[in-house]
Amino acid sequence: MAFDLSAIGSQFFVGLSRAMILFIVTAGLSFVLGVLRVPNVAHGSLYMIGAFSAFSITKLVPGATGFWVALVLAPLVVAAVSFIAERALFCHLYQREHLMLLLFTFALSLILGDLVKITWGAEYRSIMAPAFFNGSVSVLGASIPRYNFFLLIIGPLVAIGLWFFTNRTKLGKIARAAAVDREMVGAVGINVSWVFAFAFVLGCFMAGLGGALMAPTTSITLGMDHNIIIEGFLIVTIGGLGNMWGALVGSLIFGLTQAFGVLFWPQFAIVFPYTAVVIVLILRPRGILKSVW
Amino acid sequence: MSKSRFSGIVLFGLVVALSLMMLPALSEARNIKVGIVDTYSGPPAVYGNDALNGFKLALEDINKQGVLGGKIEFTTRDEKFKVDVALAMAKELVMRENVDLIVGTINSGASLAISDGVAKAEKVPFIVWTAKDEKITGELGHRYVFSTAENTAMAGKAGAVGLAKKPYKKYYIAGEDYAYGHAIADAVWRYLKATKPDVEKIGESWWKIGEPDLVPYLTSISAAKPDCVIFCTGGTGMTNCIKAISATGFSKNIPSWFHTAIDYAVLKPLGAEAPEGIMGTIQYLPYYPETPENKAFVDAFQKAYGGPPGFPAFNAYVTAYMIAGAYKKAGTIDKEKFIDAIEGLKVPSPAGGVVEMRACDHQVTYPMYFGTTKKLPQYDYVVATDLITLTGNEVMPTCDEVLKTRKK
Repeated sequence: MAFDLSAIGSQFFVGLSRAMILFIVTAGLSFVLGVLRVPNVAHGSLYMIGAFSAFSITKLVPGATGFWVALVLAPLVVAAVSFIAERALFCHLYQREHLMLLLFTFALSLILGDLVKITWGAEYRSIMAPAFFNGSVSVLGASIPRYNFFLLIIGPLVAIGLWFFTNRTKLGKIARAAAVDREMVGAVGINVSWVFAFAFVLGCFMAGLGGALMAPTTSITLGMDHNIIIEGFLIVTIGGLGNMWGALVGSLIFGLTQAFGVLFWPQFAIVFPYTAVVIVLILRPRGILKSVW
Repeated sequence: MSKSRFSGIVLFGLVVALSLMMLPALSEARNIKVGIVDTYSGPPAVYGNDALNGFKLALEDINKQGVLGGKIEFTTRDEKFKVDVALAMAKELVMRENVDLIVGTINSGASLAISDGVAKAEKVPFIVWTAKDEKITGELGHRYVFSTAENTAMAGKAGAVGLAKKPYKKYYIAGEDYAYGHAIADAVWRYLKATKPDVEKIGESWWKIGEPDLVPYLTSISAAKPDCVIFCTGGTGMTNCIKAISATGFSKNIPSWFHTAIDYAVLKPLGAEAPEGIMGTIQYLPYYPETPENKAFVDAFQKAYGGPPGFPAFNAYVTAYMIAGAYKKAGTIDKEKFIDAIEGLKVPSPAGGVVEMRACDHQVTYPMYFGTTKKLPQYDYVVATDLITLTGNEVMPTCDEVLKTRKK
């Protein structure tokens, strides 16, 4: 089968937009992993809560406004949930072994999953992006669904925001320092506990943002947490544990190999991103970029 | 007479008296125990709960009169959409709860496992009410397994009959990479190719269950320029896929067919935003046919559970009447006699008319509806219009065809 350039172009942009969502979610996961050393399995649940919150908000505020309000408020709801979880549970556990943290966050993901079921029920939910986002736009002859085009704009904005925060703000610098040597940060008189709380909430906010951004393109259901978290950990691992730019590189690899896999060999498309992961891990077992672990 | 001998006689007398009292109790009516194994957690819970509601609604009426002087009671187990869990639970229901029969589940793999590992092995009747794999009553069917669900062969044939009437030549097949997806794809393509030999399959793509982002798949399908796409998705994947083809504008350019696309449970979450012009097939619709029976069924269901019934509720409702009818016909609670009685049994359909449990393969016969989605002012969700009704005989593989697959 012959492929014209426009098909390859659309597939490239669509893969790129998928990578943007993955980046937003995994940047948060990687941040928490880097600063707090917590492999947070419940990150996927927070992503799911972000999507469900977005659903509830669009029910309260109808129309296109609802979508924009949801995009801002849903991640804040998730941030609030994660703040409670951090102050009540996580802050007592940072010194524990990784295995124990893994089990703890796994348990938390099950609990959050059930809480979502109690709050929103087992039915599928769905929200729609404003009518403005329906249909496709043409960029350099390639047709891209408008919502994906919007994601292509949001992704870099988030990346720039994160870069600005970690490199240009004091809090961000402290968080980065804590990722490298937390005892030293404590020794110079900084209240590490609140830095950690902030870092955790910021990481979870990203999960919520990812969930809210994803919501209009998929059905919002129980189980969406498991789907994202496996991909999330794979991306973080190939990118370099705890390295936020690693999350970006990993997301791009994952999103693009998937998109092109679908175009060139659709029957086996599922395999492509995972094959890429295997190749990366064989060549660079510690990830493409520097791991902070 | 010593005291101990006296008390011995008293004891003996008591035992005899008690056993005499027990005797009529044993032959007297008892309740029929139905064990339900289905998914009540995770995304498929929507269908599990809908089926359970349909079953409960039917039992309310059935138990008013009673069956063989007793009632039909049930106990449920959540198999969490897992084959091994389902099998363990079915065994537990048979061994510990002593159920008279098992019904369930939405999971084809679980249904096949229970069919082989419990129904066939323990000789306990098992009625599958939602899972659609045609192997259940086809290739892997046997005396102890029944299906009150429409199966993939029926769905595929119904889809093929409907699609063959359309002018499309170049088809693309896409769907979720699991048993149901492939079974639907095989069935519809087999029958479509047989009815209209000049159709051509220009490509296939398969994504994993729960794949959240279908846009890359849709853009690559668009690039192949098919006349029509056969989508083979189920459950949440359905809603997801329909939403994606709507949001990307795909549905405006390329026609598509999904089995169950016109199902209420699929279209409801999308509200009025669901796309128009999607073709689908289903064995039950709450608004069609407009018979008094269907209206009464929908009203009663709506009153009890706050929404119209979906196809699982319909299947389960039929199942309840099949169970009650078979025990009444058999005249006794006996597993083998139950099977003899349910073979060929006809019960009234909640949508009007009758449905029959085919004796040869234990598959219930339903008519199927082929329709296209459209917004109508009187509904706040998108409904199916231009409905064609395909009779049970049109969509069912013949007894010979089914039994031939079993001999292989």
